[in-house]
Amino acid sequence: MPHFFSNKRLIILLVSIIILVALIGFSMKKRESLTLPEQFLKDSAGLTQTIFYKPANTLAGFFENLAEMKQLYKENQMLKARLDEYAKLYVQYEEAKKTNETLKAQLDKEEDLTDFKVREATVIGRSPDQWNQFIYINKGEKDGIKPKMAVISPQGFIGKVTNVSLFQSTVQLISDNDRTNRFSAIVQGEKNIFGTIEGYDAKKQALVFKKIPVDAKIKKGQKVITSGLGDVFPPNLLIGEVIDIEPDEVGLTQTAYLKPSADLYDIDHVMVLEREMPAVDESLREKEEE
Amino acid sequence: MKKIFLPFLIYLAFISESSLVQAFLPQDNSMDWQLVPRFSMVLILFVAMYVNTTYGLLYGLAFGLLTDLLYTDIIGVYLFSMAATAYITSIFSRYLFGNLIVTLLLSVAGVSILEFFVYGLNSLIGISTQMLDVFLYKRLLPTLILNGFFAILIYYPFVKQLNQIKDTLKEN
Repeated sequence: MPHFFSNKRLIILLVSIIILVALIGFSMKKRESLTLPEQFLKDSAGLTQTIFYKPANTLAGFFENLAEMKQLYKENQMLKARLDEYAKLYVQYEEAKKTNETLKAQLDKEEDLTDFKVREATVIGRSPDQWNQFIYINKGEKDGIKPKMAVISPQGFIGKVTNVSLFQSTVQLISDNDRTNRFSAIVQGEKNIFGTIEGYDAKKQALVFKKIPVDAKIKKGQKVITSGLGDVFPPNLLIGEVIDIEPDEVGLTQTAYLKPSADLYDIDHVMVLEREMPAVDESLREKEEE
Repeated sequence: MKKIFLPFLIYLAFISESSLVQAFLPQDNSMDWQLVPRFSMVLILFVAMYVNTTYGLLYGLAFGLLTDLLYTDIIGVYLFSMAATAYITSIFSRYLFGNLIVTLLLSVAGVSILEFFVYGLNSLIGISTQMLDVFLYKRLLPTLILNGFFAILIYYPFVKQLNQIKDTLKEN
């Protein structure tokens, strides 16, 4: 290849590398909303995806059913055993709910930080290279979805809405390694222990839960939930359970590894949560002014 | 086949990537493999090999930009990688005789060039944190097998159409 690096080509190569760096720099800034051409592109692609996902899902569902049939008997046995446990838990739950209600009534407190509005959506696609962990859902701006809303599957918290176009929106899963993808979370126990979820460890197949105080005692199997601090996500959404703990590189904090409670690969239907009450109540503010 | 159908065909492959990953990923997750369909890239590589370099480059740019905008958060990674891959593969194909084996090898080589470009750029930015050995065994190898199968599957019908397009281009 004698002419592979002739002068003209070398210049074109250099210029395109400069453009590449500039584009990456431009798009790495966290943008709140998409530009119009981007929205249009996403909407039209979303439309074609909707046509595609149904036959693909039916086909996948058929294979899944075949695989599941083998395990049915075993699963049935296990579920029967669980049923007794469930009855016991249900009684406890009912009682706790009643006490909670009476206590709330005594406090004269109607709205709660835990109140949220639920919108259901169907997953129509997923980012095919698995570096970026995005899924696409068929609800968008016209259904009232806004960026930063929390997204859950029936098993637990899976991520947040990052950008919205008119008819579809993009959800960033908790397993995405983007440096802006952080969530404040609590280890459930006698005392709440705070930390942040920072991406996914592919080797351990677990979420990385960092910045836990060094003196905090965490056991394997403890549940981790969203904290609800930072007034973006509702609190008490289940994220996962601790499978491993180790001190971090410097030894000032601890790092825990979590097994996500929701299956982050097999997601068909999701729920988008909107917090009903703003973090700072307007009526409180008025009272203060008086 | 008319020239005008080519972009639509590649677009269909492009959209099907996302649906396939969404629908079939759960099943092969037990093997801990990352299968990445690069069907649109394989089609573009065929165009670059059998029609001409300019077409390959243009389709690479267009679908690279589309991938960036739709499936990732960062603009530029795929735009650069897909265009460069199409260009390099097309240069190599000039020196090799185009039969099934050579085409298969070149498309597999093209897909691995793309994977390496994207892996390198994403590691620089901090999106991918995978180690190199994990990348090679768990991601690159399965991906190459998947896309190699796809290349064999489309070889006979697609190359026939592409040769027709090339002939009509020559006549004009």
